Amino acid sequence: MTSRNHQTRGKPPAGPGIIADYHLLPGVPDEMIDPSGRIRPGWDKLMSAFDALGPTELAARFERADQYLRDAGVFYRKYDGAEGKERAWPLAHIPLLIGEADWVQISSGLTQRAELLERIVADIYGNNTLVQQGLLPPELVAQNGEFLRPMVGVEPVSRHYLHFCAFELGRGPDGAWWVLGDRTQAPSGAGFALENRVATTRALSDIYSGLNINRLAGFFRGFRDTLFAQARRDGGRVGILTPGQLNETYFEHAYIARYLGLMLLEGEDLVVEGGQVMVRTVAGLKPVSVLWRRLDASFADPLELRYDSHIGTPGMVEALRSGSISMINALGTGILETRALAAFMPRICKHLLGTGLELPEIATWWCGQGAEQEYVLDNFDSLMIGPAFSNQLPFDDLRGTALGASMTAEQKTQLKQRIAAQGGYYVGQEPVRLSTAPVYVDGRLEPRPITLRVYAARTENGWTIMPGGFARVGSTTDTTAIAMQRGGQAADVWVMSSKPVEQVSLLPVEGQKLVRNSPGSLPSRAADNLIWLGRYAERCEATVRILRAYNARLAELSKPDLPILTHAAAFLETIDVDATEAMPQGLLASIDSAVHSAGQIRDRFSPDGWLALNDLQKTAQRFATRISSGDDATRAMTVLLRKLAGFSGLVHENMYRFAGWRFLELGRRLERAIQIARATAWLTAKDAPDGSLEMLLEIGDSVMSHRRRYSVSAGTQSVVDLLVLDPLNPRSALFQLAELRSQIETLPGGVDDGQLSPAAKLALQIHTELVIIEPHELTPERLDRLASDIGMLSGVIAAAYFT
Amino acid sequence: MLYDIRLALEYDYDAPVHGGRHHIRVSPANVPGVQRVIASSLTVDPAPSLQSGFLDFFGNTVTAITMVEPHDKLTIRLAARVQVEDLTPPADLSPPLPQLAREVAQYWSIAPASPQHFLAASPRVQLVPDITNYAMQVAASEPTTLAVATAICMAINRDFKYDPKATDVETRPAEAFALRKGVCQDFAHVMIAGLRGLGIPAGYVSGFLRTNPPPGKPRLEGADAMHAWVRAWCGQHVGWVEFDPTNAMVAGPDHISIGHGRDYADISPIVGVLRTHGSHETSQSVDVLRVE
Repeated sequence: MTSRNHQTRGKPPAGPGIIADYHLLPGVPDEMIDPSGRIRPGWDKLMSAFDALGPTELAARFERADQYLRDAGVFYRKYDGAEGKERAWPLAHIPLLIGEADWVQISSGLTQRAELLERIVADIYGNNTLVQQGLLPPELVAQNGEFLRPMVGVEPVSRHYLHFCAFELGRGPDGAWWVLGDRTQAPSGAGFALENRVATTRALSDIYSGLNINRLAGFFRGFRDTLFAQARRDGGRVGILTPGQLNETYFEHAYIARYLGLMLLEGEDLVVEGGQVMVRTVAGLKPVSVLWRRLDASFADPLELRYDSHIGTPGMVEALRSGSISMINALGTGILETRALAAFMPRICKHLLGTGLELPEIATWWCGQGAEQEYVLDNFDSLMIGPAFSNQLPFDDLRGTALGASMTAEQKTQLKQRIAAQGGYYVGQEPVRLSTAPVYVDGRLEPRPITLRVYAARTENGWTIMPGGFARVGSTTDTTAIAMQRGGQAADVWVMSSKPVEQVSLLPVEGQKLVRNSPGSLPSRAADNLIWLGRYAERCEATVRILRAYNARLAELSKPDLPILTHAAAFLETIDVDATEAMPQGLLASIDSAVHSAGQIRDRFSPDGWLALNDLQKTAQRFATRISSGDDATRAMTVLLRKLAGFSGLVHENMYRFAGWRFLELGRRLERAIQIARATAWLTAKDAPDGSLEMLLEIGDSVMSHRRRYSVSAGTQSVVDLLVLDPLNPRSALFQLAELRSQIETLPGGVDDGQLSPAAKLALQIHTELVIIEPHELTPERLDRLASDIGMLSGVIAAAYFT
Repeated sequence: MLYDIRLALEYDYDAPVHGGRHHIRVSPANVPGVQRVIASSLTVDPAPSLQSGFLDFFGNTVTAITMVEPHDKLTIRLAARVQVEDLTPPADLSPPLPQLAREVAQYWSIAPASPQHFLAASPRVQLVPDITNYAMQVAASEPTTLAVATAICMAINRDFKYDPKATDVETRPAEAFALRKGVCQDFAHVMIAGLRGLGIPAGYVSGFLRTNPPPGKPRLEGADAMHAWVRAWCGQHVGWVEFDPTNAMVAGPDHISIGHGRDYADISPIVGVLRTHGSHETSQSVDVLRVE
């Protein structure tokens, strides 16, 4: 273990001024400074550039990168205690530079390793020669929770088990790169690597373009093309299978879906019919051919894997057996992450590939074998001891794994007894010693331990290694504190080339055929969430308008028992809003519901829209703690109204008119029509007190229109005419119905050979009734019926498109 | 011994069910030299939209059905004729318990029959220190693995009360052990936990019991429903032996097996995923009659 020592003051390395104050940890290799104290190539240019910028400009540059991440809404979810919170992505601003020679070695070693892992997992689920020939102890398979028995003998339709892997690397004291862990279950972070790159180059674009740094887009393009080529052969769609928005890396799933043009799918979006996986879309069931799985395998099918999984798809395993879907990676590949496997990799590699491992891995002793158990017990103090079946990296697993020397005498005795009794459950591993790289802390450079995460993807030309990735940077010099969940940072990784690099992006190359995605692929769940997002946003707006009108009168009259105020308060009560609260809980709940609906469809609308909605929520929550009723609340409601308008504007102006936008729009129109009908019914009731009509006009945002259109002061008929029956007033019920009709008719199946769908028929009927009705016939009872008719229309749409 | 088996499983749903998928494991198994299926048919009412069959990892027959039409009742019926051999119990060539681990370790195999699958905790059987201690006390003076397993089978029967009201299908072995009560599933799970705690590979068997006893013998406990018992691996010479802790006996000609797994989760009669809102009621009737 390295320890921090402030007294150590080595000779300052020669080179740019900024590194004069950079003090290496004794005996620990550093990425920037070589063992002879010289700054490595590339780093010298980076540091000179930092010098030239000066501390103020550098800080401004780094702030620019952080601002980018905030604007892009890059989050990961951190679990502490009961509920996970979204956290801003912790970018370490200085990229990690990797030289070409190192990279050649890494990418060759990882290509070998990916191939080796493929052969091992194919053997475990296939012929079992490794176990039979004594190269892999049967216990490590048969007693392994990641050994999924239903998958035995199920050969992947792509003929490969692994398509996308991640590897955690560290540089040991000898200067060589070591493999610290393999990620084969559902590797995360590739999307964050991309965002790291964008953010870092925002800050350092001039420096970046001055060095020959490999681009990342080509890697993603290659993998995407492979996924789509396979899907084209099989005639179905490509999706990312996510556990949902509560997952730690949901942001990344949505991000990759958007970046690569994949459907973002959850288990409940899918059904298996006759052995084929289908996605429920608003245009009916559509076949899916490729699923990039970000869900742990055992959750994928409640029928054959974990019976208690609520996020899986019943029949998924059957679909895999029938060979109708390709799973990236195959279910069951998580077994390769088992820690004890490391003990057997060198021999297995020799056996399967006829050669040694190019990149060494952490020396590991599995205590299920006599001699190895003895070794671990004899060298107990100097080893990391932990569970054999763990899939966590030893230094990430603070609860289960510890250095022998760090334990109390009692802990040691107990653990040694357990190892002697049930050795198969334990491994001993050499403690990991990592190299350091510079981070920028309070205006100066400090060395911090780093690990490197690198990705491998299978394409039609074999494995490709992403020329980059991200580096995890420890929050202190202690190597155990590196985990992202525990406050470490992530840095971009710049892989240098001696030649100018190819410029690639995901945009089609000149001359390449343009492929258009059909708009019929909107998953039903996403459409359902979009409708509700529209409805909640509109409900918030209606509530805020009423509350503003209420509080303005309260401020003016300061008598809460005035008839107009009690009448309005009674109306608010019908929508669960307590007018006596300055910022009612009912309104906060509607805002939360809007954010929740939006959170499930992050791939479907712009980061700006998401940020606007989050801003609205934060503002409302802040108001809740400090505003009081009356004037204060009136002003607060005006602020919220403006923010709501900002959100609507961003969505309305920037969202492509796909089916997705249509459902959002439907939600808005449905809710607005219902709200206006109900408010009009309430405020034109026989017992409605004086001032009701003025309040209604204000709620309906139609005070000006009324003044212009009618030369009389507000009377029931003129107000009803304007708010319900005026086809030109964008706030009237009739206007909403006209919009609803045209949107519904444009939906899949809305008009088929001139035949209207049930929803289109109902919309036509409600609209027509309203067109021919006279203002005096619009009694409060009739208006209530209108509201309930529109509610029914909402139900008919849901039945047609979401089930 | 020739048997006619009739089974009816009925599910009554509070609210109509819109579609569902089920895996059914109720058909008797062919076990060479032990049990032969002469005829077996499974019917589902209402008729499923899709019905297919496959063998699971442990070689059990699974019937997969998909329901599409709404229904408020589902009935699964099995009719089968099975020949069961009356075999003499194996001679005790099993090793003393301390030597068993070495024999297990010689199995460099993860084939379905390998004892390696049956040593660790499994979805429904956790390794419980209390149960391990109990098994250890019972086993203390027994000379061989087979004797140990037999002693545990007898001890559970002696110490536990058969009580269908005390537990349900979700009860964990630790709870049933604390209560010293339960039904065949609990008896079997506790015994499996005890055996594994001692390092004896142990699995769960699902099946049927003969309904009416031979003249002069008492009716067996659990004969009016589907039954469950235990298989234990007693060394390479003896292999798998089946014990019925509910009836304090080695499984014999009165036991007709459907299949086996690590615990109930691997071989439960029906696993299903439904789209419904309400709850449901289940009823089960079993008749196993000797044909002569």
